[in-house]
Amino acid sequence: MKRIISLILAMGMAATMVACGNSSNNSAPQAAEPTAESAAEQPAPSGQDGGNISAAGVAIDQIILGEDYTDLSAEIRFKTHRTDIMDTILQGYADDFREMYPNITVTYEGITDYSETMTTRLSTPDWGDACMIPTTIPLTELENYFHPFGATATLSEDYNFADNRAFGGTTYGLPSTSNAQGVLFNKAVFAKAGITDIPKTPDEFLDALKKIKDNTDAIPLYTNFAAGWTMGAWDAYISGSATGDPDFMNIKLPHAKDPFANRGDGTGPYAVYYVLYEAVKRGLVEDDPATSDWESSKGMLNRGEIGTMVLGSWAIVQMQEGGPNPDDIGYMSFPISVNGTQYATAGADYCYGINKNSSDEVKLASMLYIKYLVEKSNFDYDQGGIPTVKSHEFPSTLAAFDGIDLVADAPAKAGEEDLFVNINVDSEVSLNMDNQHVISIVEAALTGSATLDDLMADWNARWTASQQKYGAGA
Amino acid sequence: MKSERSVKSLRPKLSIKQQIMSMRGQRIIITVAFMLVPLLLLFLFTYLPFFKMGQFSLYEMRYIGKRTFVGLQNYADVFSRNDVFGSLKLSLYYLAASFIQLALALYLAATLSFKVKGGAFFKGTIFFPYLVCGIAIGFIFKFFFTRGFVLDTVLGYLGANLEILPYWLRDTGVNNIMLAATSIWRYLGQNMVLFIGAIMSVDPSLYEAANIDGASGWNKFRHITLPGIQSIVVLNMILSISGSISAFEPPFVITNGTFGTATYFVMMNSLAHEKQKVGLASAMAVVLMLIIVLVTLFQRFVSSTFLEEDKNGYTFSERRAMKKRADARGGRGV
Amino acid sequence: MTNTEAILRSVSWNLTKYFSLILVSFTALLPLVSIVITAFKTPEEYRTTNVMTPPQSWLNFENFTFVWEKAGMGLAFFNSGVVLVAVLCGSIMISSMLAFVLNRIKFPGNGLVRNLFLFASLVPAVAMQVTVYQIMYTLNLINSLSGYIILLLGTDVISIYIFMQFFENLPVSLDESAILDGCTLFGVFFKILLPLLKPAIITCMILKGVSTYNEYYMANMYLQDKTRLQVVSTSLYTFTGPMGNQYNYICAGVLVTMIPALIIFILCQKQIYSGLAQGAVKG
Repeated sequence: MKRIISLILAMGMAATMVACGNSSNNSAPQAAEPTAESAAEQPAPSGQDGGNISAAGVAIDQIILGEDYTDLSAEIRFKTHRTDIMDTILQGYADDFREMYPNITVTYEGITDYSETMTTRLSTPDWGDACMIPTTIPLTELENYFHPFGATATLSEDYNFADNRAFGGTTYGLPSTSNAQGVLFNKAVFAKAGITDIPKTPDEFLDALKKIKDNTDAIPLYTNFAAGWTMGAWDAYISGSATGDPDFMNIKLPHAKDPFANRGDGTGPYAVYYVLYEAVKRGLVEDDPATSDWESSKGMLNRGEIGTMVLGSWAIVQMQEGGPNPDDIGYMSFPISVNGTQYATAGADYCYGINKNSSDEVKLASMLYIKYLVEKSNFDYDQGGIPTVKSHEFPSTLAAFDGIDLVADAPAKAGEEDLFVNINVDSEVSLNMDNQHVISIVEAALTGSATLDDLMADWNARWTASQQKYGAGA
Repeated sequence: MKSERSVKSLRPKLSIKQQIMSMRGQRIIITVAFMLVPLLLLFLFTYLPFFKMGQFSLYEMRYIGKRTFVGLQNYADVFSRNDVFGSLKLSLYYLAASFIQLALALYLAATLSFKVKGGAFFKGTIFFPYLVCGIAIGFIFKFFFTRGFVLDTVLGYLGANLEILPYWLRDTGVNNIMLAATSIWRYLGQNMVLFIGAIMSVDPSLYEAANIDGASGWNKFRHITLPGIQSIVVLNMILSISGSISAFEPPFVITNGTFGTATYFVMMNSLAHEKQKVGLASAMAVVLMLIIVLVTLFQRFVSSTFLEEDKNGYTFSERRAMKKRADARGGRGV
Repeated sequence: MTNTEAILRSVSWNLTKYFSLILVSFTALLPLVSIVITAFKTPEEYRTTNVMTPPQSWLNFENFTFVWEKAGMGLAFFNSGVVLVAVLCGSIMISSMLAFVLNRIKFPGNGLVRNLFLFASLVPAVAMQVTVYQIMYTLNLINSLSGYIILLLGTDVISIYIFMQFFENLPVSLDESAILDGCTLFGVFFKILLPLLKPAIITCMILKGVSTYNEYYMANMYLQDKTRLQVVSTSLYTFTGPMGNQYNYICAGVLVTMIPALIIFILCQKQIYSGLAQGAVKG
């Protein structure tokens, strides 16, 4: 019954959106001279509930960049987490974009503690015009904050992971780049340590780290503990990399009984955290994680002072550029094999979103700029990520993943979109949300205050309690 | 009652200007005008958010999304969860630190209140950390405690081997002590200056008399200085209780609450912002405030009983001191 | 006999006294000295030498110019100056006027208002930021220095208390004789009492000044446009991310932010001490 009501509501909203779209088209002509190509004004036929009609009248796949709306003038306030490249690379994109759209200016604001800060700001309507959508926003709430890009089904034909920030058949965010999750390593260090075969299981990997420690001066595994967010990165491996199952994260995990328990075969979430716990416990990490340093770790890996680092594919380029030896940087799949096969989690990084409360001109301008970012800027390629546009080629950095199956998480079943988030938040396990739970693994391993089994039993207990609360018992 | 009626009956005879100029008119105008802005600000930035927070504490909610009314469940959680209520135990470190700080400040104040070579230098050096910004303190002490950095080096000069030294911010045996120590570093000078001020306000003739009697420095401190500044010392002791319960900055800027250094306040902050448990964090804030209210009531009780002047104009300590002096004189007489 | 004893005692007391003073001052200075040393080192030197080894050149100001530009500290100092002046003026006016009314005028609700402010001082301000944020937004106070200033004024209970205390010590006979001379209540406040409040004003300036200059949490939240609204504390915070543990830069930044405080401290040492002490004599 509830479903039906909400469906009717959605249709009603779609209808008003169409109305909005038309009115804005009528009021826009002085700013935007629609060309013949911009068939965008015609609502494209679609099986979905009209989701591809946006308030500004256009779905992102139907805009022709550089031809449509070139007279549009607007100012876009763009919020980003990349404080490091905000003034350089990102500003460069904004300048480049101005060549095509001389009257659109983009002002970036970089935010430290991005996810937390942005979540607070989103509680007020006028937070800016475009941002990287924080993952703290439940999918069910997207429509209340963000402007739709179009129908997920249609956009998925052109774009990878168009379903990442989507709800009810409508997409509210497109990936800035996407990652394949693996492990960075220094080839020279591996050679010097006498590691000939790339480790494929947790124990092989730990043995390899031991070899690095015994045979070289390098730090076997650098945790980057002090930076915090680098610890949260470990969560990325528990789905595809650890299970090879696209349904694991969003469909099975909310219902699974004791999902963090030791499976005994070196797979699953336990195996991922086991690698971290054991590496720390056996002294195979930096001497004092609490004072480790993210910036200098790039140069250290490059120069062979670090053996391995567990980070997504976005980090490859930064490591290559971190010092004189770009060719020494290697990327391998996370050392877990499921029935002898290796997989790698693949998924969207932060997605671009547009404030639904901005004016129609600004929304349209933002969409133009995001289209530029996604299709023309080459940001994803330059960052060594999986391109958002399906037809774009993969960067060579991912060549190491040839032959390894990339596994993307399938979206949750309809009606269960917020189940995972609810359990995740309520249990305070906070996968992919905060860093505290991974930090606690390192703390326990360093101080010996708890075994990994203790920790995982605790997570399981909390997970189960929250499952019961939300009626998702195993 | 009577006078009010007479004012009223007078009113029609006064012009508006006269009314304004009348004392009563002035009082009303000034009262309203001078209080309007502060009360408005107080309402906007303290009471309105406070009531909203009280309301939040009854819900299970995140920043974004639906909220569910859960009654007092969040409060039950605050008291039943070991990691939440248990974090109050860390306050003991900060409480101990503030007592050490008070003792040290008292000693330094007693010393520096009198002629000391280089007194101004010592005073300035010890006081300056109070003026350093919290974020800077975070950087300074992260640097200070890093393995092989400042502290380790200096201890190395003294002959300590790096091998036997702990990791100051990591080893759970020492890290909370170190964090509490940074708070001594920061506030010792401020405390000392307060005490010096109090000592200066003690009647100098008492010291002159003591000097004539040939009293020792310790005796002067014990019998003149201490009773003279007792009230401010006790007040500071009590204030340090609520201060240590809400200890926030050292762990927040130095360790970010890792390795068991998360105090109640840091825990609350992380539950609200990282874990998105706004309801629970609000309940924690309300509980914290109730504790502080209790401590404050205790403080008021202590000051009204022991520190404020009684009918005869003597404080508790003065009465006690007089009695002691009388006893001592009596003793010597025999 | 007693004479030598007294001399011995005095010598040993002097030894203990100076030893303890030197020890405490050394501890107070050590962290500061260490950052001064590091602030003058080149990145290469920082990586290769011990932290307590003095830099090769004490005239290497590169770190300072680097952080000055990188963190936009010129603007930050300007903004912090504006905030400081506005908050101090505003807070002194508001608090002294309120304290005057509460102390000198009997009106129904006087006790209630006092208690409202007392209670407000117990509420943990940081804990309420979620709700305060929405209020700030509704009032359109986000992303402007004036909004930030208003917020700092609105959460100021300490100054009110300092002024209340001082009014207690100013005899009411002062007001009465002025009124008999034909002075209005406004006149009593502005001409007679306000000049007498100078010590309280100094105390207030120190306490409020230190906390305002160092305030970080709300500045970070409400002054969002960092290209325009950076203040000293938030500019320092920008070192956390991209500069990680490159302490030669961080230390230079820390040092830069401390210099104004140091200058003011050296110039107004006496006033600061007495101001602080005055504020606390009555607790």
